[in-house]
Amino acid sequence: MKRALITGIAGQDGSYLAEMLLEKGYEVFGLVRRSSNVARTRIDHLTQGQAAARAGDDPAARIHLIYGDMNDSASLHRAVRESRPQEVYNLASQSHVRVSFEMPEYTVEINAMGTLRLLDAIRDAALETRFYQASSSELFGKAATAPQDEHTPFHPRSPYAVSKLCAYWTVVNYREAYGMYAVNGILFNHESPRRAENFVTRKITLGAARIKLGLQQKLSLGNLDARRDWGFARDYMEAAWMILQQPQPDDYVVATGELHSVREFLDEAFGYLGLDWREHVETDPRQLRPAEVDAVVGDSSKARRVLGWRPRVAFRELVRMMVDADLELAKGEADKVRATDL
Amino acid sequence: MAKRALITGITGQDGSYLAELLLEKGYEVYGMVRRSSLFNTDRIDHLYQDPHEPGTRLRLIYGDLNDSSSLNQILRQTAPDEIYNLGAQSHVRVSFDVPEYTGEVTGLGAVRILEAIRDLGLRPRFYQASSSELYGKVHETPQSETTPFYPRSPYGCAKAYAYYITVNYRESYGLFACNGILFNHESERRGETFVTRKITRAATRIKLGLQQKLYLGNLDARRDWGHARDYVEAMYLMMQAEEADDYVIATGETHSIREFLDETFGHLQMDWKPYVEIDPRYYRPAEVDLLLGDASKAREKLGWTPKVSFRELARLMVDADMKIAERERAAAEREGTPGGAASARWGAV
Repeated sequence: MKRALITGIAGQDGSYLAEMLLEKGYEVFGLVRRSSNVARTRIDHLTQGQAAARAGDDPAARIHLIYGDMNDSASLHRAVRESRPQEVYNLASQSHVRVSFEMPEYTVEINAMGTLRLLDAIRDAALETRFYQASSSELFGKAATAPQDEHTPFHPRSPYAVSKLCAYWTVVNYREAYGMYAVNGILFNHESPRRAENFVTRKITLGAARIKLGLQQKLSLGNLDARRDWGFARDYMEAAWMILQQPQPDDYVVATGELHSVREFLDEAFGYLGLDWREHVETDPRQLRPAEVDAVVGDSSKARRVLGWRPRVAFRELVRMMVDADLELAKGEADKVRATDL
Repeated sequence: MAKRALITGITGQDGSYLAELLLEKGYEVYGMVRRSSLFNTDRIDHLYQDPHEPGTRLRLIYGDLNDSSSLNQILRQTAPDEIYNLGAQSHVRVSFDVPEYTGEVTGLGAVRILEAIRDLGLRPRFYQASSSELYGKVHETPQSETTPFYPRSPYGCAKAYAYYITVNYRESYGLFACNGILFNHESERRGETFVTRKITRAATRIKLGLQQKLYLGNLDARRDWGHARDYVEAMYLMMQAEEADDYVIATGETHSIREFLDETFGHLQMDWKPYVEIDPRYYRPAEVDLLLGDASKAREKLGWTPKVSFRELARLMVDADMKIAERERAAAEREGTPGGAASARWGAV
């Protein structure tokens, strides 16, 4: 049985990846931060009944959570030693771009130094481990050319992007210096019903659903003209897995190649619910980034050619899937409000 | 003008009660929150208003005790009259898993705030959440402000650093900085991996047939348990005193885990013995001795006494968790799945 260690397992991508690896028969180890609020709702369905399911081929018995922190070298060393993974997926990060301007030091510690610590833990353990690094289209930032592929020069425009740049090169360096199987997936934006609620796409779908049910009147957003290349997170995690199955380690851009603006996202989400977003959306300059990135649109021909990867979920389908899920959530909320009214 | 308070750890048990108390007293409250892709603000959601609304007195700011620049920025922006440093990696057993992180946040976090205060030339009052875990392998019983420390975990060691650095900034720079040495304090909002809450969650879920077993560590551990709401009142009182000083806050009563089990399962008319199993993974590598606090100084100088007794505390927690368990049962019936998602939380982590 193959063993995989996932940092950031409680996040959007980590939860999809864990699901997929469990389906493929892997034993999955996940690193979780300690918090007094147990924040693992995205993986509760995978770990459910774990204590009771130690025997038999119950996927819940094949997933193990380990306390650790990307700031804590000793905990990373221990996690690697205990899990002895054939594959490590480093998805953990302070992943919010605007927030990275508020805590730049923390962001670089986790995203950049964290990656270095984890690579060293693998090196020290002398394991034949394949290492996947969650790199990001934010590396391109103020992009010199469009679309961007594996050869486009980087121009990071936020503490987040700069920290991811450091991690990217560290991975390349460990591959070249020590012959490690270490690769970067340069993933363009990828969303899902599990996207965090303060990312613009999820903020919109949740806002639209709540407005539809009368739970909210206004939705406050930043730059409506920002344009992104948005795919579905589960498709992207499939690419991450495929990247680690190649005979040779290499870096890949993963993207849909389609560009849409926040306005178009609003059209699609509100339109699907028979609403006009212009009646509800306000812009709030506090939500603008100090430095915005250009239209980033990815050219993933290499991934398509070498890996045979293609995105399955299109823009419209993605938006509708997110709205449908948030409508269910909002209905639950509406029930709760009614119950308290009684 | 309203007083301004900054609370680190505002989303935690104590932070949420303290925010409530200070808002009631008319303060403007700023709370520092860590960034997480899941929102962890359940305990203060009832206090929070959209910042776009006028007149909101509670504001949340992203920051991290590991990030000096975020602390500097927050202190500059909020210029608080009072700072309550409640942010910590606060779980003792977990501190053996993440000792370095615990030292950074729980220990060095305090000095990063104190340095930011000094750099900016501010004169806020500073409260440090110190802990009875400082006594660890105790020198005497009960423990008071004069009992020597003997911390027995990475958590205890980190808290010892934070304690002394707070005293040091008081003595070196004349800062109004005080330590509240709080013994265990629980509540309906206690984190679900702490033993008291773990027990009350499980007891109510077992009562409703949502769970069969409860795995625990050392049943003989004895603690001095009070109610968190009473304890945050003590924090506030310390910060209003004329002189900065350190105080033990405790009930002066000790009870074992077994007694807590008796009380909670008993309140639900059940016997805990058929349901409880011992899992050695929950033992601490080094256990602390009988912790029992002597809070005479706080009683005399601050006029503080605990209001909620042990039995009341256990029952409050059971009653609140029963409501949660009932909601879980309703959800499970809707989805046709037994148990609900929460059972996953009783794994090793």
